[in-house]
Amino acid sequence: MRLGIQSRLLLLESLVLVLGLAAAGWVLDRSFQASVRGGAEEQLRLLVFSLMGSIEDNGGVIAVGLDTPEPRLSQPDSGLYAAVFGDLGEVYWRSPSSLGVAFENSLPALNLFPGDFRFMTTSLRGRPHFALSYSVIWESVEDVQLFFNVVADQAPYARSIAAFRRSLWLGLSAVVAGFVLAQFLAVRWGLRPLRTMAEEVAELESGRRERLSADYPVELVGLARNLDRFVAHEQRSRTRYRKAMEDLAHSLKTPLAVLRNGLRDKRLAAPAEQHQLLNEQVDRMETTVAYQLGRASVTGPVIVGKPVPIAALVDRLLRALGTAYQERGIEAISDVPADFMIRGDERDLLEIVGNLLENAFKYTRSRIRIRAELEPQRVLIIEDDGPGISPSVWKDVLSRGSRADEVQPGQGIGLSVVAELVRLYQGHLTVERSRWNGALIRVEFSR
Amino acid sequence: MRVLVVEDELNLNEQLVNELKGQGYAVDAATDGEEGLYFGREYDYDIAIIDLGLPKIDGIDLITRLRSEQRQFPVLVLTARGHWEDKVQGLEAGADDYLTKPFQMEELLARLNALVRRAAGYAAPQIRQGDLLLDTGTKEVRVSDVAVELTAYEYKVLEYLMLNPGRVISKTELTDHLYDQDFDRDSNVIEVFVGRLRKKLAPLNPIRTVRGQGYRLNREEAPVDE
Repeated sequence: MRLGIQSRLLLLESLVLVLGLAAAGWVLDRSFQASVRGGAEEQLRLLVFSLMGSIEDNGGVIAVGLDTPEPRLSQPDSGLYAAVFGDLGEVYWRSPSSLGVAFENSLPALNLFPGDFRFMTTSLRGRPHFALSYSVIWESVEDVQLFFNVVADQAPYARSIAAFRRSLWLGLSAVVAGFVLAQFLAVRWGLRPLRTMAEEVAELESGRRERLSADYPVELVGLARNLDRFVAHEQRSRTRYRKAMEDLAHSLKTPLAVLRNGLRDKRLAAPAEQHQLLNEQVDRMETTVAYQLGRASVTGPVIVGKPVPIAALVDRLLRALGTAYQERGIEAISDVPADFMIRGDERDLLEIVGNLLENAFKYTRSRIRIRAELEPQRVLIIEDDGPGISPSVWKDVLSRGSRADEVQPGQGIGLSVVAELVRLYQGHLTVERSRWNGALIRVEFSR
Repeated sequence: MRVLVVEDELNLNEQLVNELKGQGYAVDAATDGEEGLYFGREYDYDIAIIDLGLPKIDGIDLITRLRSEQRQFPVLVLTARGHWEDKVQGLEAGADDYLTKPFQMEELLARLNALVRRAAGYAAPQIRQGDLLLDTGTKEVRVSDVAVELTAYEYKVLEYLMLNPGRVISKTELTDHLYDQDFDRDSNVIEVFVGRLRKKLAPLNPIRTVRGQGYRLNREEAPVDE
């Protein structure tokens, strides 16, 4: 079993959705992290500025005022530490919070130019921290370079990032689930006509329905129409087969009954009479079988029949019949143009033209002409200079389709089969007098 | 005339063989394509009747193969289904005529006759050599418009010679084409037939003896010079 259309669509769309939203999530996550980091740097910078503001310079003795700008700097082990160093590494000040915390090693080397900030991630006691250093030339009794350093634990930031992530992925997952559900419903709704069609075809199969319903979406209208035509064609063929079988059985009954009665009839005692009766009835049965077989073997108009070039078909038959009727010296000329095409089953068309040409070869004296008319209708015309077809035979041929048990031997069975075939193709067969007073057969094909 | 019949339907095969023998043909019968091919390769026939639906090698294939091996005798195909596709394919493969089953035996015999004549280059059933006229349809012979009574074998000898005018025909070839079984080839039966024929055809003398080789029917009746 191949993967269903619904599963394919859902699988593909879910995959695209998940990948797309994962990429979006990743981008959002990255930019949120960047903004958190930027915010941290800004905070530390402000802290540095406020530290600078609280420096007390008592004639060269530099100290930070006791009123530290940030209460966390006063709490031991608070996660926020600050220190002011001189250019030789001497400590001018360090925050009370850093008591017992040797954070100097986590700081950048003292090689900053005055006025420069350096922001970095560092590690302190095994945990990630942000560190900001700033250098300035302090103009006092004598100028000294001071290094302001602030170190902050990343834990609060990490917490806010984790919270953001949680809600981000939760939200995205909800979006994916919603979309997949919507897709599922859309696909189901979109494919419903196909399911309906499958059900209706099953009903056709079981005979509970004759044709498909009419209201299919535009994409399926063509398919439904073709399916309907196919089914109708099948039904017609079936009907034709059944009718041919019935006709055959029915039309064989008469000669069989005649034979059976003949066996009982005491007046038919003489072998010559019996022989004649037998002969007549066997002839009749032969003709019937030939005719009904011809009718039943027809394919009929095909739904997507490709156009059959009639000129090539005529040439092929003329070559074959020319061999068979070689000694008659018949001049058969085809003027059928190469672009004369009839849409249908090639074998059917071969039967039509073959039977007509065979009749022409059989009855003509010396010449046969085949030509075609393209406008206003496709017409194939076969003329000969034979004795022509008498109106009574012609009447017989035309009525044969409706009264199959009335087939009489030797009355142009080929022509009857052709008439039947042409009728199947919704065409029309007429017999006229040819210019040489022989037969002229017109086969009009429907457009 | 020697005929090859290839037909797998045993009843029909037998009927054909009986009918043809009754008409004075020498007949070989095969019931499948393989056997038909064997006969067609081994012996020379005046005509073959081949059914299209054969086991082992089908009819169209059989004709194609015989033709590709330069077996040029005329072929009449029999078709049961009567579809034009079959008939046309048969003729395209190299058959010379077709007949749809069921057929009348008279029709078959007429077609056979016509095909044999056609192969010999005659269009009409009457073959004329000067004042000698042979009607292959009615099997009558006339000399200067006077009917001549011939026995079946005398007729067959004359017909075979007239269908192969101008060609030297050995006694063996005549025996092969006239008799169903191998007769004693050393017998002078043929010579006897030819001798009686000459007497009956007098004053014409169309049959010439080619010493050590056989007989030849002259294309045009030559004046009596013996």
